[in-house]
Amino acid sequence: MVENVNLFPLFLSLKVSTIATVLAVIIGLPISYYLSRSNGKIADMVDALITLPVVLPPTVLGYYLLVLFGRQSALGKFLEEKLGLLIVFTPTGAVIAAFVVSIPFFIKSARTAFASIEPNLLNAARVLGRSEWNIFFTVIIPLSWRGIVSGITLVFARSLGDFGATLMVAGSIPNETMTMPIAIYDALLAGNQKLANLLVMIMTIVSVTLLYVIKRLEKRIIRGERSFHASRSD
Amino acid sequence: MLHVAIKKSFPHFTLDVAFTIEKGIAGILGSSGCGKSLTLQCIAGLQSPDEGLIRLNERVFFDSSQKINMKTRYRKIGYMFQNYALFPHLTVSQNIAFGLKGKPREEVEQKVATMIEKIKLNGYEHHYPAQLSGGQQQRVALARTLVTEPDVLLLDEPFSALDHHTKQLLEKEFLLFIKENFAGVVLLVTHNMEEAYRLCDQLILYDEGKVVQVGDKQQVLNEPSNVKAAKIVGCKNVWPLDSVAIDEEISCYVNGAKIMVPRKKERAHPRFLGIHSHHIRFVEEQSYNTFDYEIVECIPNMHAHDLTVQTKHFTLHVTVPTNELHAVLSHERKLYLPPDRLFLLS
Repeated sequence: MVENVNLFPLFLSLKVSTIATVLAVIIGLPISYYLSRSNGKIADMVDALITLPVVLPPTVLGYYLLVLFGRQSALGKFLEEKLGLLIVFTPTGAVIAAFVVSIPFFIKSARTAFASIEPNLLNAARVLGRSEWNIFFTVIIPLSWRGIVSGITLVFARSLGDFGATLMVAGSIPNETMTMPIAIYDALLAGNQKLANLLVMIMTIVSVTLLYVIKRLEKRIIRGERSFHASRSD
Repeated sequence: MLHVAIKKSFPHFTLDVAFTIEKGIAGILGSSGCGKSLTLQCIAGLQSPDEGLIRLNERVFFDSSQKINMKTRYRKIGYMFQNYALFPHLTVSQNIAFGLKGKPREEVEQKVATMIEKIKLNGYEHHYPAQLSGGQQQRVALARTLVTEPDVLLLDEPFSALDHHTKQLLEKEFLLFIKENFAGVVLLVTHNMEEAYRLCDQLILYDEGKVVQVGDKQQVLNEPSNVKAAKIVGCKNVWPLDSVAIDEEISCYVNGAKIMVPRKKERAHPRFLGIHSHHIRFVEEQSYNTFDYEIVECIPNMHAHDLTVQTKHFTLHVTVPTNELHAVLSHERKLYLPPDRLFLLS
């Protein structure tokens, strides 16, 4: 029976979530660093803007994305005419929806990790002749590694589970933009409860397995550090 | 030579200091929040003064009139932070090598090995800072700084993270290590008078963002120039003067009592007279500067007793060695203020 199930939505979901997570890390790191260093009015505004996706219903968010990237909008036109890039009702749209919905989780997590670094450690690195850029990679990232990993986990989990925003922006075209959560909804709507049950099961197993693997990986890193410490301490 | 003359304002605090250190170890002494650490941060470029000049030998670090503000990483400064600021994710070796980036690998390895040998941490190369004792951490921090061969060494409360016992053991060793491995100007910040006295050649006294006295440590301790300086060096006896008559000696009147001070102690516009509690003595014969006394309070300390003593004219705080206590308590003696130990304050 499993052989007959179309697994395209699962692979699409995994692909979309992976790309959205990578984007969230690349774009989220500098933003979280900036936010952890400054408490001015501008930083507060950026912070509010970034927290918005957590508060707004995904449909509202999806609507905004439609307005922003739609074929009638200036940005949508520009992307279509100059770069040949279509956002709405494409997998790219699904990636953008997942990215916007999940990036706040990464930024919150990374920002807290950055802010908890003792400022004198950074000053020590400066006095010892390192540039800000170098300090970011040799001191800041290694010291906030745990916060960053948990941020990545959250982003991936949130992307994998997004329904509302993805549906609004990418639609539910079978074998093209239909992600797992949408496929489940679609199956239920069509009265195919058997398929829905199966997809729900697959989704649950995949999610639990992935989160478990990430958790183990995280633990191994931490335990690795600790056992390394312990083995040398006597 | 380190020359500092800077101003920096905050809503409730203004730092406005100027001093020059020719050579040796100078200590900035003052209570917490008086701008000591801020001064170090300005010298290192971690904070920018509003205006002023910071110059080390011929190199100008900061000059507001020429809009010079050299970046921290080019200043070649040795800075030891209050809690040492060792990188927790790096080993002892990696911490010490941190400031040697860009140098050939063999040179780095050799320098780090020499340093580890010097601070006697052989075998600890691959330990992490959290596995070291406070004293070991201090040595790693010092090694990490000195291995870069800085032009000036700034020490921010180098002993505040250690307990009293460890501190006493390490002070001498620490001083010796610096003297053997570093020839430039050292600027040390502390709030502990005794520590400053033991470690430094020169003292700079700070009070609320201002320099109140600069000088050789003996001179600053024994002859503070004003009331604030006297308080910082721990002088407990400061009396306002009624009047002063300068003759062959200086006659000072405190609440009607006449106290003689030698002529060489003369100072313009003296307003107060002071003496350290441990310089007051008890003698058998009556002469000038002797007084009858009564004991108001006696607090036993480890090697001496702290007495509060009342004479007809004024109250004093006196430190008496335990073996002399009996004679003092039995009132067989007179209280004596040695003229050489007295100082006039403005």
